[in-house]
Amino acid sequence: MAFYSSLKKAHCSFFIVMCVGLFACNSENKASLSANSIVYCSEGAPEIFNPQLITSGVTVDATSKQLYNQLITFNADNSISPSLAKSWHVTRDNKKITFYIRKNVNFHQTNFFTPTRALNADDVLFSFNRILDKKHLFHQVSGGKYPFFQSVGFSELIQSIERINDYTVRFTLNRADSSFLANLATDFSVILSKEYAEQLVKQNQMEHIDIHPIGTGPFKLKEYRTGSFIRYNPHEQYWDEKTTLKQLVYDITPSNTGRLTKLLTGECDISSYPIAHEKIKKNPKLALDNVTAFNIGYLGFNTTKYPFDNKLVRKAVSHAINRQAILDTVYFGKAEAATTILPPSSWAYNKDIPSINYSIKMAKNILEEAGFTDGLTIDLWAMPVQRSYNPDAVTMAKLIQADLKLIGITVNIVSYNWHEFLRRVTLGEHQSVLLGWTADHPDPDNFFTPLLSCGAAETGNNGNFWCNNQFDFLIQSALATTEINKRKALYMQALHILAEELPLLPIAHSKRFQARSIKIKGQLLNSFGSIDFKGVSKN
Amino acid sequence: MARDNIYQEEEFPSPLVQLWFYFRQSPVVKVGFGCFIFLCLLAIFSPFISPYSPIENHLDSILLPPAWDDNGDVSYLLGTDNLGRDMLSRLIQGTSLTFGLSFIVVIISLVIGVVIGSLAALTKGMKSSFLNHFLDVILSIPSLLMAIVIVAILGPGLSNTLWAIVIVLIPQFIHITRNAVEEEFNKDYVLASRLDGANSLRILYYSIFPNIVEKLISQATLAQSAAILDIATLGFLGLGAPIPMPEWGAMLANGIDLFYIAPWTVYLPGLAILFSVVATNLVGEGMRHALKARKEN
Amino acid sequence: MLLFTLRRFNLFLFTMVLLTILSFSLSFLFPGEQITNISGKINASPESIELIALHYGKHESILSQYWIYLNHLFKGDWGLSMTSQLPILDEIYNHLPATIELTISALFIAMIVGIPIGFIAAINHRKKSDDLILSFAMIGYSIPIFWLGLLAILIFSIQLGWLPSAGQISLLYEIKQITGIQFIDILLSDSPYKWQAFQDASSHILLPSCVVALAPATIFIRLARTSMLNVLETHYIKAAMAKGLTFRQIIYRHAIRNAMVNVIRDVGLQFANLVTLAMVTEVIFSWPGIGRWLIESIYQRDYTAIQGGLLALSCFIFLVHIFTDFVYATLNPLAREKNRGSR
Repeated sequence: MAFYSSLKKAHCSFFIVMCVGLFACNSENKASLSANSIVYCSEGAPEIFNPQLITSGVTVDATSKQLYNQLITFNADNSISPSLAKSWHVTRDNKKITFYIRKNVNFHQTNFFTPTRALNADDVLFSFNRILDKKHLFHQVSGGKYPFFQSVGFSELIQSIERINDYTVRFTLNRADSSFLANLATDFSVILSKEYAEQLVKQNQMEHIDIHPIGTGPFKLKEYRTGSFIRYNPHEQYWDEKTTLKQLVYDITPSNTGRLTKLLTGECDISSYPIAHEKIKKNPKLALDNVTAFNIGYLGFNTTKYPFDNKLVRKAVSHAINRQAILDTVYFGKAEAATTILPPSSWAYNKDIPSINYSIKMAKNILEEAGFTDGLTIDLWAMPVQRSYNPDAVTMAKLIQADLKLIGITVNIVSYNWHEFLRRVTLGEHQSVLLGWTADHPDPDNFFTPLLSCGAAETGNNGNFWCNNQFDFLIQSALATTEINKRKALYMQALHILAEELPLLPIAHSKRFQARSIKIKGQLLNSFGSIDFKGVSKN
Repeated sequence: MARDNIYQEEEFPSPLVQLWFYFRQSPVVKVGFGCFIFLCLLAIFSPFISPYSPIENHLDSILLPPAWDDNGDVSYLLGTDNLGRDMLSRLIQGTSLTFGLSFIVVIISLVIGVVIGSLAALTKGMKSSFLNHFLDVILSIPSLLMAIVIVAILGPGLSNTLWAIVIVLIPQFIHITRNAVEEEFNKDYVLASRLDGANSLRILYYSIFPNIVEKLISQATLAQSAAILDIATLGFLGLGAPIPMPEWGAMLANGIDLFYIAPWTVYLPGLAILFSVVATNLVGEGMRHALKARKEN
Repeated sequence: MLLFTLRRFNLFLFTMVLLTILSFSLSFLFPGEQITNISGKINASPESIELIALHYGKHESILSQYWIYLNHLFKGDWGLSMTSQLPILDEIYNHLPATIELTISALFIAMIVGIPIGFIAAINHRKKSDDLILSFAMIGYSIPIFWLGLLAILIFSIQLGWLPSAGQISLLYEIKQITGIQFIDILLSDSPYKWQAFQDASSHILLPSCVVALAPATIFIRLARTSMLNVLETHYIKAAMAKGLTFRQIIYRHAIRNAMVNVIRDVGLQFANLVTLAMVTEVIFSWPGIGRWLIESIYQRDYTAIQGGLLALSCFIFLVHIFTDFVYATLNPLAREKNRGSR
């Protein structure tokens, strides 16, 4: 008896102690730790810690502005401003660009790497040669694919990169390219450490360059537990204004409700892509921010695969989809209907571009004309994560499923986790896919070349695999000139081809939303590219 | 009570009739049984009684709360979801998926389990010991994990998950049949018919089954409540019913993103699952009580 | 006791053989190439596939292939995860401890709550409180676990704000992974916030383990009730009554101990069920355990992970099973005797 009752007593007292402990002194002690730390609920896990290698927003958000810097960057007013390059000079023919690199910029010091020198021209050369030079020691590390740079034709564009002296680098281009500087200012053109790379070669761990990253950014990576969280510590020797944060944690929470719950319970301070906006607005402790993002959500057709290799089928499907209903249901009326891939705020936009109208009758006729009289079954891939251009792809897919049923097309909805999804889309396993694109810089070319050029088709970056020589010629000519009106006219022609060929059906341009606790101050969202924690603080 | 029958012959109702007699004693069990019958009827006639098609989108009335709410609409009694689909119709049609299919699943695994179990009871020695251990191992794997493994082999989809659940449920039926048959075989009435020259199969069919059928039914109700929960769980995890199907677990999963703006899309399917499992368990409980009461008398 | 141990060991061996056969045959049953399924190397070139095939004895008989597979398992080479390309054993090592933590604490709660309530119900047999407890047990047993989890989060995390809704510990605490069991790691760590971290971890585990514990607790209620009822009908209780002991004395000194022994016997059986519940709960509470990892793996068709996870999780369950058998045997000499005879 003694045994059992004493055991039980022990249980009970332990239990009571635990409960008392939990509720009595939890809050005040935790306050000291959380005062200068931010937990950010992100919607997905990064694929790798080097944005040169990917185009997915999740990875860019976790790496570009946090771990790295670019040579140049965008200002709040979308003009290009200095970053690692303190100034630059462009020759009159637009073919030679010289960058003067900032001195005393330190790389991260971590337990696996201690830098002995500051940033210099070698690092810049290393970072770009890795992408351009196929024989470069690091080119094939992590797969050898640099989708953004391949899609904008970087290697054809750049003739050479020279090191003039320790702090001067010159890019020589084969032809003038009006979007070149903008491309260098994107999240993808980050500067890596050559010294670190050399150390890795010695240690025979070259792949670590993209997994255990070293950069010059305001934060350094402390710990990444796959698919679970990322922990950043501040970079003490950061060259620009240092962050006030002691810790930055990305809590990877793919579930929409999970992010909202954590925000409501205060387990995270900021949540990406929040749902239930009304609920957040009503809560006095929370704030909802938004920023007009340059983006497009679209339904992409795999133009190399049956049945969407047939233009008529693409057309019929486009006519059959009730896009207004999608705007109301999926975007809750908070997005603009897209007539073409360019958002109306772009200077190249023109409202005269023809848009496809909603008509079941026309859809049926066209489908009959194409010879599909007794129905058709297609796979529709719906991306599993929320993006600003598509907050709920699965619901959108369901609506499309119902729409297409009316013209006799049966739709199977397919979804994988984001990682796997992108990998398989790049391989072209899908027939049609709900995807989107967020611009990295204000130049309209960013909607054309990375998305619809033949170069993009090669990498499978866009899921269309569409390559049209005439279209390619138009967008390349538009890049070769700096005259705005000429470019406008060329883009207009390109958009007409697009409306005729329909490699994708534009659906919506939407804002990017973010919810935060009112304790968080500072600008996190940008119109272009990734989030930036540099100026964010907590009080 | 006056009897018309002049012969004072005693009536011996069959075990099942006796069971029914004890079964209807308890009022709670009667209510449970009523609910169970109601669910069965709903499952069979669901296409005829649901007011709308469960997959039809009413885009002009999305996220309507149930009718008793101020913003509700009487034409959608239990409200609508984010695509404007009528919750009531989806719940009704879901009955035939979650509840109805669990019924079928249990019957299939019952039949297979009883066949294997009685065969096992007739064999002795090594084989039987092997089977015993084998069943122990299978039973030590969590049912959901087993179902997940089978779904991984067959691929996701409603019919595949059903097969998975069938396979998961079989071992317990084998177990109970085998034990029950072995127990009965040692009884004197079996010996009697064996002396009459009946072979094992005949004994099994004519003598033993009528005596163990109630045990099996009681096990079947347990299995059914487990099956409902398993179907719903797999649906909830997105491994079961494909997207537009109004399976309760899948409905609930669909409602999760709406939890904070339209809580009824989560409450209602959950309540439906709870209701059907409680009804099934009440029937099972009543059955076991009746079984015990009959044994005692 | 030696014989008992030997029997259990025998059973354990048999189970391991069966489980490894199962997981080995899964690599054939899963879609895709068997070699890819077993090694997890998805992007291997044809030459390296040939090499891997040699490595796994692909050209030999099925029996020796199985033998090679066993050797690999023992050497700790469980293949690579098809999605993360990390060794499966590392992944299991990262995820299993969290599940162990959750299931053990849930089992603990279920027993602490369930068994006394079951005894109370038995003592008040056929009274109002007995009925009340039984109907509570019925509902607890019937609630779908994912729904319960959601409601628990809504009530305790959002409306009352008492407990956190997700994860094992607030991510702000930097705890180095040593054993994988969070609580031990916290105590081993040199963090200045050790004590707060411990509290935080406790508040994180409370809600999910209570959710997991509900259904098993109701089963323990019923088991304890039945067992107590049986004990109260035995002769030694009647003898004790005849001796003139008070009811309280009888219950505390004689009945509880004997009834308890019978409940312990079934703990092992309940454990598989409990792990099933824990797997779903892990998804709801984003608990970084093996259940969530396995469910993720199936979304991603990560067959190597499913094989490894199945093996690891079943082993764990079986070990707990055997452990409770031992506890039972230690507490109840009769069980050891019985096992010597035929079963």
